[in-house]
Amino acid sequence: MASVESSPLNELRGRSGPLGAALDPVVLLLVAAAIALLVGCLRSAFFAQLTVEGLGLGAVYGGLALALVLVYRATHVINFAQGELAMATTYVAYQLMQWGFSYWEAFVATLAIAFVLGTVLQLAVIRPVQHRSVIAAVIVTVGLFILIDGVVNWIWGGNFKFMRSPFGTASFRVGGVTIQHLYVGMIGVVLACVVLVWALFRFTKLGLGMRAAALRPAAAAFVGVRVEWMLTLGWGLAAVLGAVAGLMAEPSQLFLTPTLMQQILVYAFAAAVLGGLESPAGAVVGGLAIGVFLTLVVGYVSAIGAELQLPVAFAVLLAILLVKPSGLFGKREVKRV
Amino acid sequence: MSTRLPALGSLVVVAAVLSALPFTLSDYHVALAAQVGIFFVGVLGLNILTGYSGQISIGHGAFMAIGGYTTAIMSRDHHTNLVLTMVMAFAICFALGLILGLPALRLSGVYLALLTFALAVSVPQLPLQYSTFLGGSGGVQSSTTVSNVWLYAAAWTCSAILFALAWLVLRGRTGRALRAVRDSEIAATASGVSLPLYKTFAFGISAAYAGVAGSLFVLATNGFAQPTEFSVTLSLQLLIGAAVAGLGSLWGVLAGAAFVGLLPQVSTSVPVIGSAHGRDVVFGAMVVLVMLVLPGGFAGLFDRLRALGRA
Amino acid sequence: MAVNRKKVGALLCVLAVTAAVAGTAAASHKGTPGVTKAQITIGGTFPLTGPASLYATIPAAEQAYYAYVNAHGGVNGRKIKDIVIDDQYDPGQTPTDVQKLVEQDHVFAIVGSLGTAPGLATWGYLNQHKIPQVLLATGDAYWGNCVHRTCDKTNIKKSWTMGWQPDYPGEARLYAKYILQQNPNAKIAVLYQDDAYGKNYLAGLRTGLGSHTSQIIATQPYTVTDTAQVVGAHVGKLAQSGADTFVIFATPAAAIAALATETAIHWSPLTILNNVSANRVFMLLAAKNGASLNGVVSTGYVESQTAQPNLSGMKLAKKIIDATKNTSLETSFSEGDNNLVYGLGVAWTFVDALKHAGKNPTRASLMKALRSLNESKKNANPFVYPGMSVETSKTRTFPMEQLIFEKWAGGATGDWKTFGNVLTSGH
Repeated sequence: MASVESSPLNELRGRSGPLGAALDPVVLLLVAAAIALLVGCLRSAFFAQLTVEGLGLGAVYGGLALALVLVYRATHVINFAQGELAMATTYVAYQLMQWGFSYWEAFVATLAIAFVLGTVLQLAVIRPVQHRSVIAAVIVTVGLFILIDGVVNWIWGGNFKFMRSPFGTASFRVGGVTIQHLYVGMIGVVLACVVLVWALFRFTKLGLGMRAAALRPAAAAFVGVRVEWMLTLGWGLAAVLGAVAGLMAEPSQLFLTPTLMQQILVYAFAAAVLGGLESPAGAVVGGLAIGVFLTLVVGYVSAIGAELQLPVAFAVLLAILLVKPSGLFGKREVKRV
Repeated sequence: MSTRLPALGSLVVVAAVLSALPFTLSDYHVALAAQVGIFFVGVLGLNILTGYSGQISIGHGAFMAIGGYTTAIMSRDHHTNLVLTMVMAFAICFALGLILGLPALRLSGVYLALLTFALAVSVPQLPLQYSTFLGGSGGVQSSTTVSNVWLYAAAWTCSAILFALAWLVLRGRTGRALRAVRDSEIAATASGVSLPLYKTFAFGISAAYAGVAGSLFVLATNGFAQPTEFSVTLSLQLLIGAAVAGLGSLWGVLAGAAFVGLLPQVSTSVPVIGSAHGRDVVFGAMVVLVMLVLPGGFAGLFDRLRALGRA
Repeated sequence: MAVNRKKVGALLCVLAVTAAVAGTAAASHKGTPGVTKAQITIGGTFPLTGPASLYATIPAAEQAYYAYVNAHGGVNGRKIKDIVIDDQYDPGQTPTDVQKLVEQDHVFAIVGSLGTAPGLATWGYLNQHKIPQVLLATGDAYWGNCVHRTCDKTNIKKSWTMGWQPDYPGEARLYAKYILQQNPNAKIAVLYQDDAYGKNYLAGLRTGLGSHTSQIIATQPYTVTDTAQVVGAHVGKLAQSGADTFVIFATPAAAIAALATETAIHWSPLTILNNVSANRVFMLLAAKNGASLNGVVSTGYVESQTAQPNLSGMKLAKKIIDATKNTSLETSFSEGDNNLVYGLGVAWTFVDALKHAGKNPTRASLMKALRSLNESKKNANPFVYPGMSVETSKTRTFPMEQLIFEKWAGGATGDWKTFGNVLTSGH
């Protein structure tokens, strides 16, 4: 499925130059939305609070969406188990804290463990099927979803667990607006990780190899990139991002339970599709957009209760897909017949 | 299923075994057998969509919900005959499936899967928002409940009827058209097969089957239709059943239905892990193993065995 | 036609499986189910996992009490075996679990099951089969009469179903009175669970407010499976209404989310919490999540290990719990967990009724004993609040009808402080 537009080299460097990016209608739309949000925040404290909360939740959706996109780009598999894996690694962090580690020590250790888990899973159960049949690989991830959920319930039980929030329960008061430390922390940590991942892809040889393996596996193999290992690394990295998302999501849910990531996974799917399944930037932007959109809609439209968030999110997603089927930042695939 | 009708002899034996079962099993086991029958109907329908027209749906639990709620509401408000409600469920879901098939035409592969996933997640939320008519989280209770034997008979009778219907539909031109669509949409169009017609038809018929399965499903839970019964897990179970079944074999669909209907129950008795979690751990592990070992599902396995048997 | 070996093989497998399964069909039972010379088997459904799993200490406490009784000879020489099944507070699951208890485990009675919706999903079946469904861990008015809900169309008398704790509408009526006493012009916002449980409370509140019902300016239902963030969004909406009184009719997880959100958005109305979510343990969890609890009002009806540690009942409780250490029943019970005392109280009542059900109890004799409970004075239930009685009769279908108000003091390490007199919730 070759794209007819830009040359492979340009793809690897990103879009066709900064100017071309700026004039893209989608980017303009996003800039306009950001300005509108800013204006709203300045005019209403309630609006500002909702926006900050929306950005915080959206950061988590975006983080998990990025994990989904990384996996999809590399292996064309939608990993249904991404959320459960994120949840499981959050439980690992919980356990480390129970054993006496401090929050941030546990955080770092968990990211390392997540990386290992992600790579092991890819090697053990995905690699054997991913080339044979996409649907088989997808069903394998569904099986993993159920399996991981069962294992977590078995080891830790399905009851509520409490984890000390790393950001505390206090809030900033800025000119009449209450901004919880938690949301600022969520946005900060997730975006920091996203930036680190971006830097990895953009500036390191390893990152270049991973991008090449995803976009042009055959050509990459020719120049010596070990494609299979790049795919495995991609899964590892996705697991790390998932772990970050899980750790940041937990304080906003007050308790740790095995259902932590189940709804978030759904929003992450929506965000990934919204952004265009092969676009990492799109996933993050999509996540933030969905988070803000939903909190604002629920906050202001009384007919839409918070239980309708999911259907609303998907209704909007569907509308966008009908207009732009490959998502906001996706490229139309042109199939050669 | 195969264009080759399974030998008449084996069909007769299956029918005989099925008729005899309720008299030999305890009530609890009859209920289990009924569950397999319910999944048989659902998996059969999804198999037509996924296996025959190549469109992935992770949302057929939503159609089960619609069918189930139809039965519960019609029974609660109008005391409608239960079998009649199942026919209504079939009709309503067929229509809704056709409607859903239309936007599905614009999407393919992953995007379609996600659209259907959205459906699976959103439809169970609707009763919560419109609780006066749809019962809210408390659910809708039908006015009549049925015994396990009735359920068993209904489930397997429906299975038989719907299997015959599927065989009739798929052996002719429709079946060939659907297979053409699955193998290559471009070639199919070039040969004059109307994509929209057949793809939406596949959606409609698979949704209708899921609707009937949903009606039976609600009757199996004491006539009580509730949002939590129709979670995403149900859609995933159907999909697993269809994938494990593989293509082109009645026995495959039976195996797939038994897999998702029985295995979770059986795995509650796994010793070490304990009942509640043993179920998920064993079931999840089995799903992974089956797909690793049998990417063509049980149908693929039976095909290979058949080939071996002839060699 | 040549015989296809594969097909014959498959058919033989099907037949073999059928035979094996048929062979495990259960044998029939004679005599009272669940009662043997040496043992009485009871069972119940509880949320050990899932959205209401914060209640999981209740069945654990009940089992601890039965273990204590068994260690002292049991009842009439019979030991009590209590089978606890996890239905995850899901009324779609409960019927199957109850069927399993009845048809596979052959329990004598269903005792202590938790949940209004789960109870409603199963009472038809149990009453039809004349199986006691008693001492339910829910205060819904349904267990005592049919006033708040039109009685079942099939007219099954629910005479085999009974509660234990004070009924929810009665509790809510007391809150209504209290609110009007404190602030006759109160503007009330209500967060309630969107099912029979929550609606029962809300109806009681409205009845209690009488002509002042219009002072409820905002109500917001939530679903029990909602995440904390969604509940928080609901509370945010309620805060927007400008109410100065906030009534929470919720299960613990949502109550904690509501309390935490209240504080986080700097909304400080008079807050009233329904007593099943007012367990000290839950309040401490809410405080850990940032809730400032001082001034929250609720009611109670069992003794408190932390506030009344020297009562004989509380000393007994400690003894019973300590006895579970290093046994399979050991659970981490926190000090001050009111649900622990609740569970012990329920189990005490069951044993009391069993003792009065005759040397060879039948289901009918158990019901008779339960309908003529008299746990007061010399036979007082050691775990309920001093002065409160557990009684039933022809005119009294709720074993407990009394409550005492309490208010939280002491912040994140505080406790409930009772005030006022023991009141009758009445109905």
